[in-house]
Amino acid sequence: MPELRRDPVVGRWVIIDSDHTKGPLDFSKDDNTPTHQSICPFCPGREHQTPHEVDAVRPLKSLPDTPGWLVRTVPNKFPVLISDGSLQKEGIGIYDQMSGIGAHEVLIEGPEHEKNLTELTKEEMLAVINQYQNRFRYLSKDSRFKYVMIFKNFGFSAGATLEHTHSQIIALPMVPKTVLEELKGAEHYHQFRGRCVFCDMISQEYQDKERIIAENTSFLAFCPYAPRYAFETWIIPKGHSADFAQMDTATQVHLAQILQDMLRKIKQVLGNPSYNYYLHTAPVGYDHTACYHWHIEIIPKLTRSVGFEWGTGLHIVPTFPQDAARFLRES
Amino acid sequence: MSQLRKDPIVGRWTIIATERARRPAAFVDPLSTTTDQKHCPYCQDIASPGVYESQGVKVINSSSPILDESKPFELRGHGLYDVCHSYGVHEIVLETPTHTANMADLPPEQINAVMQTYALRMQTHRKNPFVEYILAYKNYGVAAGSRNIGHARSQIMTVPVLPMRVLDKISGSKKYFDYHERCLFCDMVTQELKSMERVVTQNEDFVVITPFASRFPFETWILPKGHHCDFVEGIKGHEDSLAAIMKDLLLRFKMGLNDPAYNYMIQTSPVKKASSYKDDYHWHIEVMPRLTRVAGFERGTGFYICPIPPEMSASFLREVEIHA
Repeated sequence: MPELRRDPVVGRWVIIDSDHTKGPLDFSKDDNTPTHQSICPFCPGREHQTPHEVDAVRPLKSLPDTPGWLVRTVPNKFPVLISDGSLQKEGIGIYDQMSGIGAHEVLIEGPEHEKNLTELTKEEMLAVINQYQNRFRYLSKDSRFKYVMIFKNFGFSAGATLEHTHSQIIALPMVPKTVLEELKGAEHYHQFRGRCVFCDMISQEYQDKERIIAENTSFLAFCPYAPRYAFETWIIPKGHSADFAQMDTATQVHLAQILQDMLRKIKQVLGNPSYNYYLHTAPVGYDHTACYHWHIEIIPKLTRSVGFEWGTGLHIVPTFPQDAARFLRES
Repeated sequence: MSQLRKDPIVGRWTIIATERARRPAAFVDPLSTTTDQKHCPYCQDIASPGVYESQGVKVINSSSPILDESKPFELRGHGLYDVCHSYGVHEIVLETPTHTANMADLPPEQINAVMQTYALRMQTHRKNPFVEYILAYKNYGVAAGSRNIGHARSQIMTVPVLPMRVLDKISGSKKYFDYHERCLFCDMVTQELKSMERVVTQNEDFVVITPFASRFPFETWILPKGHHCDFVEGIKGHEDSLAAIMKDLLLRFKMGLNDPAYNYMIQTSPVKKASSYKDDYHWHIEVMPRLTRVAGFERGTGFYICPIPPEMSASFLREVEIHA
């Protein structure tokens, strides 16, 4: 029997299409086998092909824009938002407009072209997480920016244009809608119950057990009760924390471990699919920290959204989250 | 310098990339949908009985429905979570008895019959007390989510809850009306007809625009010039001009963008408490060619990057020569 399920944070309904459920191998996927590209601008030795680096992890203290780095962050050569200038706001009749001020950076996650995140060593993965937080903290200081979004597109149909493993960071002059909706839902819940909705979600996931994939000292990985996509997976700190920037060094190790673990499971169970992940955290300077709880959402790109979903925002999901969780747990 | 633009209805921001804007021709879809008449199940369905049939349009129940009306509707709680079984109907509208793939190639009378069929089916489904929303929509082409079959058809679904995007639009237009005591969409029509830079085409009853804060290249909306919240009542007396403008627009896509995949969705007011939407909501149709991929950033933020300014999309579509 198909089910309609409601997300407790933003109130979004989704349809779980149980009559045509799909297992991990029932989706058509991109071929994400790496091909060595001799012209890749992210490979060591071609540092001059990117804009000047803004940060890097260089264990042997090599010079900026030279080889010898573990992780390297550069401004996007084709930025969607530009960091020079002041924010101009304008009204045109009923419409609102702002100048495209922001930052758009590329975080190259490792020097080796064929290696993706699942193949990094523990230390390399930790360097990526560490760099995420460094860039996040740095960009949060700019008073023009209201939100810093860290995300990754892996594979063609997830929107990646370059194969070499990388994430992106975009700093925005406003809080984006999806995050606003989560904040609004979480604040509303907190007003009513005096508790964090995400903390309550974690306790219910422990009670129900069936949607849990894995956990470690600091994090829980599970498939949400009302997912928008098949095999959608969340990684959430077990203890209450609104702000990603506050995470301490010990916790970074745990995040590196569970994120890599989830990506490996997704790769194994779904046959190296394209995927996106992104970090949802409190906006810069947000002070209702008791209400919100930062987390990472991982979305394997397995289905296309159809007119119905565009028209209603009602997603149709062909895999029950408890089944997806079981496949991932048992891999 | 790229721009950030806010959709006045739902408050969603879009980045309009002017700096690295791609030329309209860069989006022309090289893959058109394939047609396989011999194996078309819909050509066979034309012969079998459906739930409704008139003027060469036939409505059948989906052979693989994702909604089911056979069990009574019941909402339950599961701790923190809400759940109900997926109550509703899922119908396929076969738009023509002939094996034609694209609605753009149907005669206007046939498109008219399809639109009237939507209205009649909506009228029937409204009588069910559990139905909160009815969506009539089309997926054309593989990239738009259709299976690779070349027979023009669209779909109707009824759902027992108010979907999030519908709620967004309704609450956005309500807020505007409360403040201005005017309909947001009527104001939009006025402003667009004054500036003309985002107008693709128009006739006496409808105008097609590329919205100010477009999410996708060549995203277009068909807006009725006259105010009505409801598709069923709103099209009365305007069926011919709706069919004409729909064909006009779809031909512009087909000719200008090389037969791209597209979706359209009829956006009408919710079924219940209809009188409360009378003044502030305004039915319309969103028509979107599917030319780009949605990436992590868009999914994570609900914040779209449109690689071409809507003014450029509009002028490109305006200049497409359509010969039916």
